[in-house]
Formats: sequence, C-alpha cells, structure tokens
Amino acid sequence: MNRSLRVLVVLPMYGGSLPIGRYCARALTGLGHCVEVFDAPEFYGAFSALKGLRVTSERLEHLEHAFLQVVAQAILAKADTFRPDLVLALAQAPLSRQALKRLRQMGIPSVMWFVEDFRLFTYWESYAAHYDAFAVIQKEPLLTKLAAAGQPNALYLPLAADPDFHAPLELSSVEKRVYGSEVSFLGAGYPNRRVAFKELVSYGLKIWGSDWEGEDVLQAYVQRGGERVSPEDAVKIFNATAVNLNLHSSISARDLVSGGDFVNPRTFELAMCGAFQLVDERSLMGELFAPGELATFGSMLELHESLRHFLAHPEERDAYAERARNRALAEHTYQARMRTLLEFLESRLEGWPRSAEGGNALDALPEEHREAAARLLGELGLSPEAPFADLVWALRAKAGKLSPVETAILFLDEWRKQYGGGAG
Amino acid sequence: MKPVLVMQLARFGDLLQTKRLVAGLEQSGRPVHLLVDASLAGLAGLVYPRATVHAVAAHSRPDLAALQQGVRELAEAGFRRVYNLNYSGLSAALSTAFDPETVRGHRLEQGQLKRDPWAAMAFRWTRRRRQAGVNLADFWAGYAPPLAEASTVNPAAGPKGGGLGVALAGRDPRRSPPPRVLAGVIQALLPTLGTAGVTLLGTAAERPAAKELTALLPERVARLVTDLTGRTNLEQLVDTVAGLDRLLTPDTGIMHLAAHLGVPVTALFLSNAWCHETGPYGLGHTVWQATLDCAPCLESAPCPNEVACLEPFASREFLRLVSGKSGVEPPAGLTGFRTGFDALGACCEPFCGADPGRGERLALRAFAARSLGLGGDGYQPAPALAEDMVADPDFMLPKHQALLETL
Repeated sequence: MNRSLRVLVVLPMYGGSLPIGRYCARALTGLGHCVEVFDAPEFYGAFSALKGLRVTSERLEHLEHAFLQVVAQAILAKADTFRPDLVLALAQAPLSRQALKRLRQMGIPSVMWFVEDFRLFTYWESYAAHYDAFAVIQKEPLLTKLAAAGQPNALYLPLAADPDFHAPLELSSVEKRVYGSEVSFLGAGYPNRRVAFKELVSYGLKIWGSDWEGEDVLQAYVQRGGERVSPEDAVKIFNATAVNLNLHSSISARDLVSGGDFVNPRTFELAMCGAFQLVDERSLMGELFAPGELATFGSMLELHESLRHFLAHPEERDAYAERARNRALAEHTYQARMRTLLEFLESRLEGWPRSAEGGNALDALPEEHREAAARLLGELGLSPEAPFADLVWALRAKAGKLSPVETAILFLDEWRKQYGGGAG
Repeated sequence: MKPVLVMQLARFGDLLQTKRLVAGLEQSGRPVHLLVDASLAGLAGLVYPRATVHAVAAHSRPDLAALQQGVRELAEAGFRRVYNLNYSGLSAALSTAFDPETVRGHRLEQGQLKRDPWAAMAFRWTRRRRQAGVNLADFWAGYAPPLAEASTVNPAAGPKGGGLGVALAGRDPRRSPPPRVLAGVIQALLPTLGTAGVTLLGTAAERPAAKELTALLPERVARLVTDLTGRTNLEQLVDTVAGLDRLLTPDTGIMHLAAHLGVPVTALFLSNAWCHETGPYGLGHTVWQATLDCAPCLESAPCPNEVACLEPFASREFLRLVSGKSGVEPPAGLTGFRTGFDALGACCEPFCGADPGRGERLALRAFAARSLGLGGDGYQPAPALAEDMVADPDFMLPKHQALLETL
C-alpha cells in the first residue's frame, strides 16, 4: 500500500473486540493512515437509559432497534463527512445491513474483522455478504461457508498484539507483590477452566477476571472479587507472573483442553510482553509460533508436568519468553495484520484504493512552510505523502488550542474553499 | 458448588417438559432447585427426585405470609443462576427476588421486563409456527448449554402390559377429540395391542365425557372399560400410566407423563396443538397431526372453520391406519409422525401423509441447533433465515448469550 488511506474504524459497543478495534486504529495510524474512530461505547449511556424506561419488552425491543438505527445513521454521517477509503468494523459493530448497503451506494468499501468464534455467534451468516470483505480468525470450514453465504473476499487474519502496549515492564516491588504469583490465569470463568483450575490451586495460583462466581473451591484464588481487569493491569499481571496459564475457553466442562482451532488474543499479548506462558495446543497455532517459541500442553496431565518443570526452571521460561517475543514482534503485531488486510483488499477490490484526491499536503503549501508542515505530519502520525485534506482533517480533530502553524493551515484550507485555486 | 433455581410456574405438562433443562444442569454438577405451583409439588418430587422442590400458589389465591417466607428462603439460597422459563407477570414478579444478573430467560429489572436473545429468537420462530417447530423441552434446555443428550431425557417407550389408557380432554376442549371420535379410535387401536382393558383417565371434570364415551362403545368393548376419571390421586395416576401398553391422548399433561415413564403414546393433535412444539419427548411414540392449511391455529382466536381439523380423525381411512392396515392413504389434512431425535433434540418424522413446511422446519431446526453449539459444522449457511431469527440488538448490545454462559 503506497498511499495514505482514510480509514473509519467502527468499534463495537462492548466486549473483547472493543480493545482490538482500538489496537487496529493505533496500528493504522502507525502505518501513516488517516484514521477516524467511531466510538460506539460513547453511546452506551443512551442504551442504559432505554433499559430503565419500564415499558413492555416488545416496546423495549422496538426502541433498541430504533436506537441502533440512530447509531448506524451516526456512522453513515461520519462516513459521509470523512469520506474514508475504507470502513473497518470489528465484531459486534453497530453497522446494520441497511447502513452497509448505504455505504456501498456511497462507494465506500467496508470490511469486518470478525474476531469471534464463528460457532458461538450465528449472525455472521446474514451479514457476510453485506461487507466487501470479511476477515476471520478461523480457516476451514469457515472460509468455505463465507463463500456459500455470498462473501467472495474472505481472509484468514489471526489475532495479534500491540508492541507499544503489550510490552515488558519494569515493575516496582509493590506491583510485583500485588500482580505477581507463581502461576496465574487471566480470563473469564468458562466451564472448562472452572474444572481444570481446581486441580491447580496447589501451585500458588491467582485467578484474575470475571464470571468466577459460585465456584467455592476457587473463590480464595480469585483476585479483586472477580472484577474485570483493565488492559493496563493485564500487562502488569503478565509481566509479574512466573507461569501465565493460557487455557482457551470452552463451554464444555468435559473436554478441559478443547483442542480448538483459533488462537486467542492472550497468546499474542503474553508473547509480546515477553512473559512466559503455558498454552493449550490449537490447530492453527503451528503456523503462528514454532514449538520452541511457546510451551504448550495437550492434556491436563501434560499441564501438570509442564507446570512442575517450568516452575523449577526459570532460565527455560526466560528462553521461551524471549523467543516468543521475537516472533511476535516480527510477525504478530496489529500493524502487520492491518498491512495484510490492506494488501488483501487491494488485490481483491477492483480499483481500490482510488487515487488520492488533490495533491499531497507538502506540495499544497508554499515552499517556506513545508518544513514545519512535514514536522506536523510526523507529529500527527501521517505519512509525508499524506494529502492536504488528511492534514486538515487531522488538525480539525485536535482538541484544545492549536499552534499558529496549525491554525494557519486551517485558515488556508478555508481560504481555498472560498476563493479556489492553489495554496501557493 | 452454588445451586441453581428453575422457575416453572406453568402446568402439569410444562413441568414434565422441563426435564432436559434440569438434566443438563444436574449433569454439570449443580444442585438444582425447582419452584413450581403448589398443586404440582408432588409431581415435581416424583419426576425430579434429586431436585429440591419449592412451591408457590401460582394458580390459587396466595397466602401473603407464606409467600413472603417462601421468597425469603429462595432469596437466601444464593443461587448461581435462576432460570425463569415462563413469560408471565407472576414469574416476572418473583424474579425480582434475585440479583437480575443471575436471572436468565425472562426477568423484571427496575420495572423493565427483559428477555434473553434465546427467548427473543423463540418468539420470532413462533410467529410462523407451521414452518417452525422446536420442542418446548429443547427450547427451555437451551437456556443452559451444554444440553443433556436428548435420548437420555426419557426412556424409549415400550408396552407395559396394562392395556390401553385414554386421556380425556385437555385444558383446551377445542383440541380434544370428543367421545364420538375417540370411540372409533379406541376400537381401531385395541386389536393392535394384544391385551384387553381400557382405562379412562382425567379429572372429575371429564367424568361426563367418560360416561358418554363408554356408552358409545360396543358392549364387548365397554365391558373392558375402567373409568378412573376423577378417581386417582397423583401417585395412583402415575402408577396407572406406568403400567399401560399405550396411551391414546390429545396434547395433555398425561401424555408427557407417559413419555416420562416410557409408555408408548398415540397422540391426536389438532386445532392449536402442534407436535413439533409439544409432542411426546422420546422414542417410540406416534402422533397424528392435523395439517390443514389453517393448522396450527391460535389458541386465543375463535375457529372460523368449525374445527374442520377434527373431521379427518373420524374418517374411515384414519381408523384403518390406526388399526395397522397398510397401503392406506391418509385423509386430506392429516399426517402421521413418529418421534425421534436430531441434532437439536426431539423431532417428529412423517411416515404417512404430507408434511407441509418440512423443508423450512428442518432449516430452522438446524439454525437453532447451531445457535446452541449443536450439530457440528456440516451445514450450509442460511443468510435469510439468520436475518429473520437474529435481531441486531441481540448481539450489537450486551445481552446474555446462551453459548457464552460461564455457569
């Protein structure tokens, strides 16, 4: 992708795909694209107000539909103003089918990154064809099913981590005490984990995360009363723990180690943090990490053996963690994923991306102002080739008082609109 | 491990159709408590011997002091989950005794009635019942995946040596064949059983119908009749049904009791009864289902067709079919089904006559199954069906997703 794009990232209202959307926005900015985020959680207050209306359930459902239509209209309004080259929606994003049809009419391609297990949500079946491309974290049979559902541009795009955020940390002794343990797990209390972790309490286990209520044996090990853990605290926990357990969730308590396909975000985040993890084997893991990069287990017996081994061998833990981090840094960043996604779209969507409208920002300015403008582009995370319109858009989005050069550029833009002609 | 509560305040048959949900919860190791109408506490104790049964007067005037005490006990039990199965004001009111976060199904939260996406989807499929058809027992079980194996819910049915039982009337007289129809079916059915004896079952309200039916039977058959309508308590009813060779019945609670006990059922479903929703659960049952264009109709709406769906049950062709004659075409508007299982749970497979809506029903059942993580990956996506069944608020807004349950 040679030119700077305008990308509108549509975040979902809630859930695990929300932070991933934010990582994507940061990655796209880091790649020099002009990114606008539709922050759906900002609308959450209105949804909460609806829930307190005290009306019949039919009326409430009608109002929820109407509320989501307003949210979709807000996205369309933003798209109409921003005129993005691409709308990137994360799983559960509030983009209705009608809104996706409208985007198509506007000539704005849309792509969904469905960072969910397709077996747990079924709505993708009715949405797949309405996006111009559909990226997923699983391969077959999902890719074939997407084609059958009318989506010719399906892409396997595994999860990743953000190296600016998921990074090794120097923790204070207090932080090490608060967040650290010999063995820890961070995540929700799915049935397989509830059963599995009862066997592990003797290893100095700490459990972080929500949905662990009612599990008497584990209650003493659940931290902070089962509160949700912020992404910032998660990074501290990863860094402070000797052995980070990573057991993929399953709704079945029969198969504790489910052997499923996709690799969860925690795998990449732990690796990027340079933290040691023991992770259950997944069918898609082999192409993402080599055996020497991640310590894995395929059964509870193997988990016990590995726990005992790695707790006794910190130097081996460090070696694994370093190799995993190197691999993650090299291949599993959100920037790498966004690059892959954009290249895929370029290869699949005819005539995409269109040529940038207008000249680039530096060419549009008088010679004597180009050096300051180049610095400004860098500060704004835009590429040196970014169009003048992107520079103006980024400046408009800045909060607070602008610098004289920034104000001058906005004035210049308005002057051009009023009187036309070049900036020089 | 913290217990769970299943609130089932509906009728006799509904309590029996809660078995798959309770079985799944028990298999997950959770102690199960049941809250039922006081009149059904005895039945609940028999059907759910491992569960703790609580009772509330849901269908008679409640004693406020007793109600308060009962609610206090429930509230203090510390349930991990409360499954409120009934879409009713009574059970919604009771759901307020618990932390709304623990309640699944239907709940009243700050004065607002809410339902989970799974319940909302069921409301959507019941809008077109003819093409739909998910057994109520499977729907309720869907609140708490993983579900118990459908085949373990009830024993496969087989004759027990006690002759033919006949359940008279149901709650809704329009869907209960009258004595003149039943008399013919009984005479057709008896020779197939190889045993003598006809036991009439029902409440005291059915005694006039029992008399009328007996009078309509030929003397040689009438002599075989034992009329137990209004003469059995719960234990006697269970004992009697448990010993039957077969039960002839419309859609009744006794039908579900027979299925629970492994007694074969010949069910006559007409009017608003739809075997794909409330048919007998398990292997070895037969349902004769009215399939006229107007079936199944709405219970609350008067019939504009003079209950035309009843007539096929009185036809000679039908009686010949019931008596086991082969090569007989069923009368128009009547279909014979045998009970079985598919990935979702209990289903009715046609063996005689047309099965309108079958294609759509199978597609919907497959979609419902994968919404519960059942049936594997060997399906074709169904975009139009998904659009009909899943509403945007179900997933765009944070709601309890059955498959993301962490129970």
